[in-house]
Amino acid sequence: MIDAALLVAVVAVPLAAAALSWVVRSDRWRCALVLPVVLVLLGLTLTLVARVLHLGTVAAFANWLYLDHVGAVVLLVVTLVSAVAGPYSVVYFRSRARAQLTHTDELRTYLALFFLLVATMTAAAIAGNLGLLWTAVTATTFASAPLVDFYGSHEPLEAAWKYVILAVAGDLIALFGFLCLYAAGIGWLGGHYDFSVPVLEAAGPHLEPVLGTLGFLLVLVGFGTKAGLAPMHTWLPDAYQQAPVPVGAMLAGAEINCAMLAIMRVLALVTPAEHGGLALREALLAFGLFSMTVGVVFLIAQRDFKRLLAYSSVEQMGLLATGLALGSPIAVAGAFLQMVAQSLAKACMFFNAGTLLLRFRTTTVAEVPAVIRTAPVTAALVLGAALATAGAPPFGLFLAEISIVSGGLATRAWAAAGFAAALLVVGFIALVAPYSRMVFGDGAPAPAPGPRRTLGPAILVPGAVLLAGLLVLGVFVPQPLHALLAGAAREIRQ
Amino acid sequence: MLAEVVLAALFLLLTFELIVARRLAAAVNAYQAQSWVLGAIACALFTATHLAELLVFGLLILALKGVVVPLLLRRRTAFATAAGREVAYVVGFPTALLIGAGLCLTAFVAASRLPLPSHLLPTGVLGIGIAVLLLGLFTTTARRDGVLQTTGLLAAENGLLVVGLVLEPGLSLLIEFALVLDVLIAALVMAFLLARMHEAVSTTDTSELTRLRG
Repeated sequence: MIDAALLVAVVAVPLAAAALSWVVRSDRWRCALVLPVVLVLLGLTLTLVARVLHLGTVAAFANWLYLDHVGAVVLLVVTLVSAVAGPYSVVYFRSRARAQLTHTDELRTYLALFFLLVATMTAAAIAGNLGLLWTAVTATTFASAPLVDFYGSHEPLEAAWKYVILAVAGDLIALFGFLCLYAAGIGWLGGHYDFSVPVLEAAGPHLEPVLGTLGFLLVLVGFGTKAGLAPMHTWLPDAYQQAPVPVGAMLAGAEINCAMLAIMRVLALVTPAEHGGLALREALLAFGLFSMTVGVVFLIAQRDFKRLLAYSSVEQMGLLATGLALGSPIAVAGAFLQMVAQSLAKACMFFNAGTLLLRFRTTTVAEVPAVIRTAPVTAALVLGAALATAGAPPFGLFLAEISIVSGGLATRAWAAAGFAAALLVVGFIALVAPYSRMVFGDGAPAPAPGPRRTLGPAILVPGAVLLAGLLVLGVFVPQPLHALLAGAAREIRQ
Repeated sequence: MLAEVVLAALFLLLTFELIVARRLAAAVNAYQAQSWVLGAIACALFTATHLAELLVFGLLILALKGVVVPLLLRRRTAFATAAGREVAYVVGFPTALLIGAGLCLTAFVAASRLPLPSHLLPTGVLGIGIAVLLLGLFTTTARRDGVLQTTGLLAAENGLLVVGLVLEPGLSLLIEFALVLDVLIAALVMAFLLARMHEAVSTTDTSELTRLRG
């Protein structure tokens, strides 16, 4: 009973917040709403995570809503990123208004869509029925596409259109995959069965293997489009570049993981029927390594620091897929830690991009003069976040990358693990180099900094909080989080 | 049984109209007719099986996809559809037809090979569903107009609903409701973006949208 209420609340609270932000007249009240809402949401999520750690799984309404360790990891990531991006949005749009770039009254539409996006993502995390899961992941596109087009000129529109067309095409392919998965269960479970995670899990090896494999491949290609796996990633750089900064943080830090959740769920369900899932893992590995390669190659060539983040995401999602595909306990647990760490790091990078954008009014690396001379605190944050995202030692992502590579070596996947490690090294340099150039300057004549605007310290707080969290994750993983990640890895590996 | 198969064949033919349509209004009309046929298939299945879900599903499709979505598309994109402008092909007209025929062949071969359990409808209908999915996606990639791309995706979705009907008549009412609702929202968002596109570049011709590179 309590569990049902908690599961409903985690979707209902952001939905109610969306409605309220639309209805409330005063901008002041609308902004005051954000912090309490995200804190309540965070509280609900932490309670649910504790329940999952205590009980193993939490289900309600005949498995329509269902939370296991895998879902709990995604729910945690989604709420953490939203909890920081929400308040950041308010500060960011106020700073933009002060810089006379936008009006604050646009916050009404923005916040309504923002909370709607949060609700669709939490719904995806707690969906037990696979039809509901598909619907929720699809709905994230419809909440986020108008946000990508938020500034409404030619380029954002182009990015949003590309995003919608590719994402919806991907959604339809994934739907075909889910239909195949449903058909795979009819033989054993009979017609009109309950198309939910626990039921299919119980059917295990009795699913029809050909249909199951086809279902997985279609879901991989379909939702891989939204998860930013190459070669279906082409919408990602445009959307990340054109979307408002906090929206970029939500896309890269939260939404992308919901699509990955669906892929992981289907992988785990089909694995027992498909002789331990060897063919499935090989397909996932191919997509993973290819995405890492594409991500790294385009990182090297990139001159725009917002587009840079998109290719970094392609690389990181490739690494996540690689970790899942390698399949040893260490690699899969590492993949889940990587999901948590890279999401927080990417959100932090977007917040810093916002600060740089407001300060220097450009997203071109070469046009940013040595930040450390004008804004030392911002410079420290920018460099710290770049190191954290690239996977430098004291930060959480380093631990995750080491786990994935060593997990691969442990299962004697020498070539895959070695290739991934080499790409990570090149990717590290390709990501950190442009950021250190912006921070320290490379001797090129620095253009005169724009007229001094007071940005205020508030805009730096969300990024600093995330960076501190990443530092903690790198030094030690708290016991409950460790238990959660280990549980998720167990569920994926079966 | 015969009624469903004839309707399914009509369903496929109407999808070809999408591929060859020269005017936007014709494409939207084809989608609307296709949705009516889909609703009719569900209703015909209801008379054969007396599953209440099928009737609700059929009526839902007739109301939403047969009336609301086309109306919405026409109204929100009246600036483009009313102009009667001819839409160019990326690949030539005969090539498009040839590719369409190839996609159909692929779909039918795939449908006959897959061990899909089919209770009520013959495998051919499954092939039609897959073919319409592929043709819809092909329309979206091969046409450079926002309205046509949207219609292509909506038609592809209709094809998937036929696949769903073959697999399990009346999947689950809630899932079907979610699916159809999803289409409505998709159409709304796309129509909204198309209207924005018209404001920004005064056309829905997507070959204007090529500024973002790299």
